Amino acid sequence: MLAIIKKELKSYFFTPIGYIFIALFMIVVSFVFYMYTFAQGSLKFEYVVWDSTVVLSFIIPMLTMRMFAEEKKTGTDQLLMTSPKSIINIVLGKFFAATLVTVIGLALLFIYYAILRFFGNVSLVEPLVAMLGFVLLSMAYISFGMFASSITENQVIAAVVSIGFFLIVSFLQNYQGLVEMFSLVQMYQKFPQGIISLKEVVGYISFILLFVLLTIIILQRRKSVK
Amino acid sequence: MIEVQNITKKYGDFVAVNNASFKIAEGEVVGFLGPNGAGKSTTMSMITGFIEPTSGTILVNNFDINKKPTQAKKQIGYMPENVPLYLELTVKEFISYMADLKLVKRKEKKDEVDRVINVTGLENVKGKLIKNLSRGYRQRVSLAGALVGNPPILILDEPTVGLDPKQVIEIRNLIKSLGKEHTILVSSHILSEISQMCNKIIIIDKGKILRIDSTEKIEKTATDSSEVIVTVEDEENKFETLKKTISNISEIKLIKENKTEKVYSVKYKGNEDIRKILFKECANKDITIVEMKKKENSLEDAFLKITEEGGKK
Repeated sequence: MLAIIKKELKSYFFTPIGYIFIALFMIVVSFVFYMYTFAQGSLKFEYVVWDSTVVLSFIIPMLTMRMFAEEKKTGTDQLLMTSPKSIINIVLGKFFAATLVTVIGLALLFIYYAILRFFGNVSLVEPLVAMLGFVLLSMAYISFGMFASSITENQVIAAVVSIGFFLIVSFLQNYQGLVEMFSLVQMYQKFPQGIISLKEVVGYISFILLFVLLTIIILQRRKSVK
Repeated sequence: MIEVQNITKKYGDFVAVNNASFKIAEGEVVGFLGPNGAGKSTTMSMITGFIEPTSGTILVNNFDINKKPTQAKKQIGYMPENVPLYLELTVKEFISYMADLKLVKRKEKKDEVDRVINVTGLENVKGKLIKNLSRGYRQRVSLAGALVGNPPILILDEPTVGLDPKQVIEIRNLIKSLGKEHTILVSSHILSEISQMCNKIIIIDKGKILRIDSTEKIEKTATDSSEVIVTVEDEENKFETLKKTISNISEIKLIKENKTEKVYSVKYKGNEDIRKILFKECANKDITIVEMKKKENSLEDAFLKITEEGGKK
């Protein structure tokens, strides 16, 4: 798995994708940071993290759209799938590589926290919990993006399907009842309050497991359908 | 050793590979020959475990590729058709990634990557990005990817397609030298090329295996013909009357004619060499033979013949 993570990270950062991802992320979070800290004078860094998640719907597909779509299109999946590495290994490798890229973005966001901390008395717990939620939400998005990439060999379709799904999911929080439970954004709400609630964590983890599993099934199925 | 037992691959109603069976013993270099779309790549994809057969089993060094994929895949180095590569990596990075995928041990990795670069002659481009390489070099990189980890079995899908004649010879020699230590299955749609590398040939067309035989035997049936081309000086057109005197002759046809010389094609039945008889008869009738030779089929003709016969069955 490490080998695949390493190679995927190389692919992200030897091409412009990794940099564009981090640049776009930083532009948005800088703006959010400015709005909260300078325009409103708030010291609640956890809400900077919270609002930064909005951009994930648009930039996570940049990381995930190529994952399997491009391998299939260029035929390099033949190299992967005929190697002794198992499909689970391959899928998890790619999944964690993308997760690492978002964690790098998050680490850069932490610089802003350091600045705040330097000038004032800012609490640490809430921002850290918010960041945990951020990572879980990113992983949920990545797992779906990865799944979308496994069902097509066209990157654009993979990206459009992912963005469409993320937008729909974001709107779900406006509804009540059963639908609301599927809202990934809704699940996020408690994290900035500094609460790690079992319900939300389990919710995210089940979502992630579901789509990682579906990706594995799709790739396994492809062997007999192709 | 590769053992393919009654494999069939269907795509809906289309049968890509139809009940194919063959065996490749250790140390053999086997050519897999067939026209485009015959099912070569599909069969190879099934042997490497990239796709699953609809029915039938494949054993790779006694491991079932679909039941024990990890062990079976360790035995195989695969060079897919159309040389898929990660263009954003350098040659060395790519080979080293392939080494990781093939579970080469960390300690041995560096030496193994260097060895493969050396064998495939990539020394002077190892730091280059693959996207900047020419087709010939990409082909070698792909071959290097198959070789890394030193798997006992190599499966090479059309390794020389798209290369210029010089590169074709280089790759061919490389494969020949690899044949000393590896079991190799190499596919192509060009018989003359296969016959130079392999000691056994499997001919496949429309998903069916038509023939499995040694290269010499296939070449022999390929080139055997019962036709003689004779050039004579024969002003009185006596040559054509030979058909009546020699019973073995089934057809005499005038192919070419100029002022003094005529070129005939003589088809005959039976195993006896007709050239001796022709020589004597012509001498009797006072016809001067300027040139006479047995017509040799090209390997390509033979290949067409075998595949056409197979189609009729």
